Amino acid sequence: MAKFCINDNVDVLIEVLKRLDDRSLGVAACVCKTWCSLTRNDSFWEHMCFRQLSPPPEGVRAVVVALGGYRRLYICCVKPVREVREFNRVWTRHEMELSLSLFCVDYYERVLLGGGGGSGGGRLGSDSAASASLMLLCKAVNV
Amino acid sequence: MKRDNSNQENFATSGSSSSSDKGKMWCEEQDAGGVDELFAVLGYKVKSSDMAEVAQKLEQLEEVMGSVQQDGLSQIASDTVHYNPSDLSSWLESMISELNPNFDYFSSIVQDPFLESSTVTSIDSHSHNSWNRHARAPICVSTQQQMVVDSDFGSDLISIPGKAVYPTSQQHPPPQHQPQPKKLKPSSYSGMANSTTVSWGSPSESISAHPIESARPMLLVDSQENGIRLVHTLMACAEAVQQENLKLAEALVKQIGFLAVSQAGAMRKVATYFAEALARRIYKLYPTNPQDTAFTDLLQMHFYETCPYLKFAHFTANQAILEAFEGKSHVHIIDFSMKQGMQWPALLQALALRPGGPPSFRLTGIGPPSHDNIDHLQEVGCKLAQLAETIHVEFDYRGFVANSLADLNASMFDVREGETVAVNSIFELHQLLARPGAIEKVLQVVSEMNPEILTVVEQEANHNGMVFLDRFTESLHYYSTFFDSLESSGGGGDVGGVAVSVQNKVMSEVYLGRQICNVVACEGPDRVERHETLVQWRTRFESAGFEPVHLGSNAYKQASMLLALFAGGDGYRVEEKDGCLTLGWHTRPLIATSAWKLS
Repeated sequence: MAKFCINDNVDVLIEVLKRLDDRSLGVAACVCKTWCSLTRNDSFWEHMCFRQLSPPPEGVRAVVVALGGYRRLYICCVKPVREVREFNRVWTRHEMELSLSLFCVDYYERVLLGGGGGSGGGRLGSDSAASASLMLLCKAVNV
Repeated sequence: MKRDNSNQENFATSGSSSSSDKGKMWCEEQDAGGVDELFAVLGYKVKSSDMAEVAQKLEQLEEVMGSVQQDGLSQIASDTVHYNPSDLSSWLESMISELNPNFDYFSSIVQDPFLESSTVTSIDSHSHNSWNRHARAPICVSTQQQMVVDSDFGSDLISIPGKAVYPTSQQHPPPQHQPQPKKLKPSSYSGMANSTTVSWGSPSESISAHPIESARPMLLVDSQENGIRLVHTLMACAEAVQQENLKLAEALVKQIGFLAVSQAGAMRKVATYFAEALARRIYKLYPTNPQDTAFTDLLQMHFYETCPYLKFAHFTANQAILEAFEGKSHVHIIDFSMKQGMQWPALLQALALRPGGPPSFRLTGIGPPSHDNIDHLQEVGCKLAQLAETIHVEFDYRGFVANSLADLNASMFDVREGETVAVNSIFELHQLLARPGAIEKVLQVVSEMNPEILTVVEQEANHNGMVFLDRFTESLHYYSTFFDSLESSGGGGDVGGVAVSVQNKVMSEVYLGRQICNVVACEGPDRVERHETLVQWRTRFESAGFEPVHLGSNAYKQASMLLALFAGGDGYRVEEKDGCLTLGWHTRPLIATSAWKLS
């Protein structure tokens, strides 16, 4: 009798992973290479961003993907905004819009201003770090 | 050189005149003949021959106060009126007798040698403290006496709850402050000296029946006293400059330098910048307006990152523009404050995601000429174009270089048929007030373009008064509040955040410091930081044919959310005022966003 291995049933695995919260997803990414590549899939993070807001507005996906993807959106903008507001309150359109705007600013700073010399110099320009203007958000979380 | 009682009017600005007399004292030491120097530094003329007596009286006073029970203390604590400080001896005596009518001074003269007096001889901080404790802080006075008045800094005194002024260890309810709008009113020092929740520069606690808890500790923190002296010295110096008494101003400016160093945090920085600005004015080393726009832009970028003011400005203006562009398919924005174009990514994104899809977007950016052979305006335009392409918004850009907005004409902008125009100005319009007729011309040009909306963000302060001293006072309060808010934002945090934010904070301070320098040290067409209040702008706009557009609740909500994200977010306040939004620190609004359309 063949043993059941979750990795053979990726669709079930995806359904399970979809229900995790962000921290657990991060942990899950450390389990094995399969899980790691799965969790990097942006659709998980899209789900994370829009979990409480349904349906996600038209055209958002294209924009978000262009600006760096849902995972980055979640980490840089959605999570800090969520952490600041009251705990059980529903994630509203306004907060989503604010997150998206901040995300766009982040893209602009990071990719367009941070890369070149001149006035962009002196700031963290690496891909993994948040742009300087969003460092503030990171701090807010830690406060 | 005796100050007689008839000179009491000169004590109108007691704090400042005593410090201005300090200046005189230092010059005229030799003539003083027998006046104790240390007292003189603090503004009290006490003959050296009287010193022993004064010392003994102080000791008696301390004793008596120590023995007075709670009620007596509260009476002392509630009013402090500063007697004629040239007659220290009799003043002390009157205090002693108030406290203890039965106390017979003469019978209890202590034989302690003068040198053992813990207060008057040495200047180390401990004894200095206790001297001040006696002499200044809890002074009991009958309420009928109206003596020396304190310099009042005008009607909009505000508490600056920075750490320097509010030592965190103390928790006491603040005394009731009743703002006294005019100078020359009886006022007291007790609010400052006694309470630990003092507001800097708010010297008056009116004669109120409200007794302050006697549990309030009497001990003063030394820096607090210095803080008060610092403010007084700044004001005195500004007054001296106003009266063209440059020698005195020079002496005071040096003193400010010393006092500033003894402070911590925001107060020190503000004082330092103001002192520098005053020094420039005195020595006529006027700052040249910065030619290096790249550096100015860099400063503004750091300012953008450190604190929420610019972000607030951008987001609220964008919201107004977004609402004005609803349903329009061709939009054209004319930006008077292009700089690095930080405002537009967010608007582009919002337009990209609006129901019905994005409009076709034209942007005309205006900027000053650059001095380094790089076309910054065009570069910014390219970057924005790249962004627009990424999010699939049809984008067209044009940059205009102009020395002043008044050089522009409506025809330059090539407004096309069927286009909806919006004009945006962030912290630009006040510079036009330096030249007569400029603002009218610009508003004329704007109205010729028939915009759907004109969004304006300006500093909420009046730094354009006719009198130098008024401008100085206003800007001192304004920038103190600003620096205070900077103090609590930025800094701290972890990982890569630390180094960046310290640098950001310093750059933001330099950014503000430049404004301070301009307001205080420059005159005429060079003085471009001519801030005016929302009310004043409203008058201007209405006379140019504009009427206000109410910024909706969306803008308010978004702004509030944005503010909540910033560390130190408790201090920031978003307020709505006649359809305009203001962002301030605690009770003081600092910048205001407003929107206008042609009526």
